[in-house]
Amino acid sequence: MKAATKVVGTLIAAFAMLVALSACGVPDGRAADIASPAEETGTRSMHQAPTATPPAVPRRSAALEDNRALTAPPPSRIEIPDLGIDVRVQPVGLDAQGRMGLFDDPSIAAWYQWGSAPASATGSTVIAAHVDSLEYDLLPFARLKDAIAAMPVFVTDAAGTVHAYAVERLEITGKADVDWPAAFDRSGPPRLTLVTCGGEFDDENRRYLSNLVLTATPTGGSE
Amino acid sequence: MKKILAAAIGAGTLVALGAVGPANAAEGPAQLSVLHGVPGLTVDVYVDDALTLDDFEPGDLAGPLELPAGAYSVAITASDAADASSPAIGPVDLSLEAGKNYTTVAHLTESGDPTATLFTNDIAQTAAGEGRLTVRHVAAAPAVDVLAGGAPVITNLTNPNEQVLNLPAGVVSASVAAAGTTEPLIGPADVDVAEGASTIVYAWGSLEDDNLDLAVQTITGLHSTPNGVPAGVAGLAATNAPGSDGGTWVAIGGAVLAGLALAFTALRRPAAESRR
Repeated sequence: MKAATKVVGTLIAAFAMLVALSACGVPDGRAADIASPAEETGTRSMHQAPTATPPAVPRRSAALEDNRALTAPPPSRIEIPDLGIDVRVQPVGLDAQGRMGLFDDPSIAAWYQWGSAPASATGSTVIAAHVDSLEYDLLPFARLKDAIAAMPVFVTDAAGTVHAYAVERLEITGKADVDWPAAFDRSGPPRLTLVTCGGEFDDENRRYLSNLVLTATPTGGSE
Repeated sequence: MKKILAAAIGAGTLVALGAVGPANAAEGPAQLSVLHGVPGLTVDVYVDDALTLDDFEPGDLAGPLELPAGAYSVAITASDAADASSPAIGPVDLSLEAGKNYTTVAHLTESGDPTATLFTNDIAQTAAGEGRLTVRHVAAAPAVDVLAGGAPVITNLTNPNEQVLNLPAGVVSASVAAAGTTEPLIGPADVDVAEGASTIVYAWGSLEDDNLDLAVQTITGLHSTPNGVPAGVAGLAATNAPGSDGGTWVAIGGAVLAGLALAFTALRRPAAESRR
């Protein structure tokens, strides 16, 4: 009994630490990229004759036709069956204040069109929607707060491919502290980031004080 | 110097394949790419007398190499040369600053002589929805205009110079004409101006030899990030709990963690209620 308590205690402690790590104030992810491998290995001896095998420098044709941009099809629908969410998705850019633009129509979620798409080789696909509206009351994304780990999420793209994800992380963070460069990261493994508002509401300024950011990872079940 | 460089090139190559890194880093290594723009000549490229590119073909782009800031000597020889002692181009001295991004181009002068030019690539952040298009004249040809959709967007560009445009992301139908004319010498060709990236187009080759062409280099990772997501106006989903991060959780063990998350929420709920 005592041992079991201890195990649970350890798990809870570990969990608490994870929560602390995931909350606001996490250092900007870019900082980790600044390590300089050249410096670390700069003193390693690699003396060789000039005509020895040269280092493998990446090389490619610079011809226009060999460098066409590969554009992934935009997402067109998002479903979280366990939360009763099934909404259309359309591309957006920025609004006049430099924020991600969203649709007033509650039946349409917004995909940040300059970021990654579900079929992209790398990066975060960002889909956001309003949590509520004066006209339509609570909207589907209000139910994101009830997501639990491993809950399935499906995103269909314009090519008809269904990309399957599993919920991994839910963060509700004060708006000033959200790590937007991480949420909109175009590098790293493919993932899905869903954003809406949450937390307390500022009645005077008609705005929420926090953002809810849900991260889901691919389960490889695209069809 | 040679030893350090060889090691740095080895290490830099691995890194360069993956990440571009912070766009505006004022520290860290310099990045150097090499473009071969001399028609009909396969070459070897030596950096500080060390063979760095073997049998480098015209129209090919190598790199980026990550190099510690400092001075380097680049020599370009015929591909059958035994060493860098009798270069066809150079040796040229390059001074590379920390955190900057460079392309050195082996190319022809306006009058058709082989030469090499070091360009500094603009890697400043781009505005959302925009890409950066840089056009460099490295061809044996007089001054040119660059036309987009038939209208001049760059005028009187001479070898070995460049002009930089920040444009809405998209495909530009570009052609190169003698300055003051609209009859294309090159193109029209579709150039992808990708959002958040620097697209560098080189006009290279020789007008006299009728082998003018375009080459392209792309530097990604210059994009900006939205500064927020305004996703609610009515307050209907507001929590009354003090402290707004009560719902935050992370999954590592799937079901176990989900259970823990539920337990965590259950434990917190009475506490939150009692505080009201």
